[in-house]
Amino acid sequence: MQEDFHYYATYAAAILAGYTHKESLDIAYSAQFVDLCSKTLLSKIKAPQKAATTQLQLEMMDARTDMVGLQDITRIWASFHFLPKDLYAEKAKRPKGYMRKYRLICGPNGELVKKTVELAKGRTLQHAGIAMHVLADTWAHSYFAGTPSLVINNTNDEFYELITIDGKETERKIKFRHNPGADDDLDKSLYTNSIYQGSEDSIMNLGHGRAGHLPDYSFAKYSYLPAWDDYNAMIKDNPSDYRKAFCQMIRALRFLRGDIEAFETDEYDYELIAPHEERIMQIITKRQLIASADWRAFGEELSGDTVDDFDINRYQDEYMAVENKDDSFLGKFINGAILHKGMVCRQIFESGNMLAGYVGEEKGTADR
Amino acid sequence: MTAVQRIREVISGLFMFIGALLLLTDPEYGYLLVVYLLAFILLTMGIRKLYYYFTMARYMVDGKESLYIGVILFDFGALTGSLTDIPKFYVLFYLIGIHAFSGLVEVLRAREARLQGASSWKFKLIHGMVDLLMAIICIMFINEGSIAVLIYAIGLIYSAVLKIISAFRKTRFVYIQ
Repeated sequence: MQEDFHYYATYAAAILAGYTHKESLDIAYSAQFVDLCSKTLLSKIKAPQKAATTQLQLEMMDARTDMVGLQDITRIWASFHFLPKDLYAEKAKRPKGYMRKYRLICGPNGELVKKTVELAKGRTLQHAGIAMHVLADTWAHSYFAGTPSLVINNTNDEFYELITIDGKETERKIKFRHNPGADDDLDKSLYTNSIYQGSEDSIMNLGHGRAGHLPDYSFAKYSYLPAWDDYNAMIKDNPSDYRKAFCQMIRALRFLRGDIEAFETDEYDYELIAPHEERIMQIITKRQLIASADWRAFGEELSGDTVDDFDINRYQDEYMAVENKDDSFLGKFINGAILHKGMVCRQIFESGNMLAGYVGEEKGTADR
Repeated sequence: MTAVQRIREVISGLFMFIGALLLLTDPEYGYLLVVYLLAFILLTMGIRKLYYYFTMARYMVDGKESLYIGVILFDFGALTGSLTDIPKFYVLFYLIGIHAFSGLVEVLRAREARLQGASSWKFKLIHGMVDLLMAIICIMFINEGSIAVLIYAIGLIYSAVLKIISAFRKTRFVYIQ
């Protein structure tokens, strides 16, 4: 997912859940900041680097894929962008090494999503924003794992976009290129993806890199062959998934506000979007590279207030100037990120999987 | 880079340095050593790829590619090791390929680092230029077999020095300790 959903759609979801304009902005800002809080940024503001929630392209190029490096990568990407659906998943006749990676495949409505939302309960708005990012990505990034793995994340050229023209769904072959500087060409179904790398642990095989940005486009519906699914064709229906993600975010935010008693998986607040259903589906299904303007207009209509542009620098000076960091906006974000990362990594470790490293019982953080 | 990674870099750098000195002290023997080293590397890569196929890749879509690559690498390794007199020409070709590719990748990485505003771009650019220079020297002396050992040894020394320097460099990306 991109800024359109993590910032503007999250803002709209928070408003629909009953938060004020200011609270919704804080939640949305934090949700989007997860995609920007790298070690480089944390180093710049002299913040603890274990709070990193993403890696810059350059950081990933320099990251080593030995065991220590892989654990570092997995801690970040599995915790914040590819939350595993089932850490105890079974698949017959597969060796342990394979299963360690297989069990990190991301998907919605897993036990970890519930734990993620519950962990944010009674904490800061920043923590709520982090939880919303993680929840939303479980829908967009389904079927890929937040660890470098050829056997899980690879795809071949059997990719077809399913496009509805005049009410009839037709297949169109997707073509991939490896030019990160070029925009995707939606009219020709020409997308950029990462280069094939035959090495199991190559950084090129992290997450959905091999499928390009297709999982990040709400309008996209496509079929392909995931590397791990025995040649079964998978149909990824992003419009349906993004709608569910939006409704599940509202549900989770209402739980965090205290409006409902418990947050259960596979429950969605469809009734709250019913008056706006057509508008929301229009935005979701519109073929465009980024839907920020549409989501922003929708959010502003809901609240009657102006949604500021996302500015990565907005709270950095405050963090560096303030004496008690925990009271600052970014201080609260950092504490939330460390808590969340610690929880996810501990769950992975306790499942017998060392791909996120060892996590101490007492600290509850991803320290080694 | 963690402390363990730094120590490992220094130790591997020292081994490479000692290997290079051995090659330079006796070029004829050194040449044979390079050929056998090449055979050993190819055999190891082949075996690793085959192991990867049987434990992981056989369960993935299009995983048979790993099997084919493993068999081919193993075959090349066995062939290289069994030949008593490989034309030195081929060894130089191998060195040209290695240095040219590494150099090009490093120059491209330097370009990206510069665009991102990272200070490491100069270091990467110099690294890439030296690798490209080695490839050019290999082309210039393509008919001089003895040059292969010399270039290989210089390449080893250069890589060893870089490994040791990078182990002591302060990195921006501190891994969780």
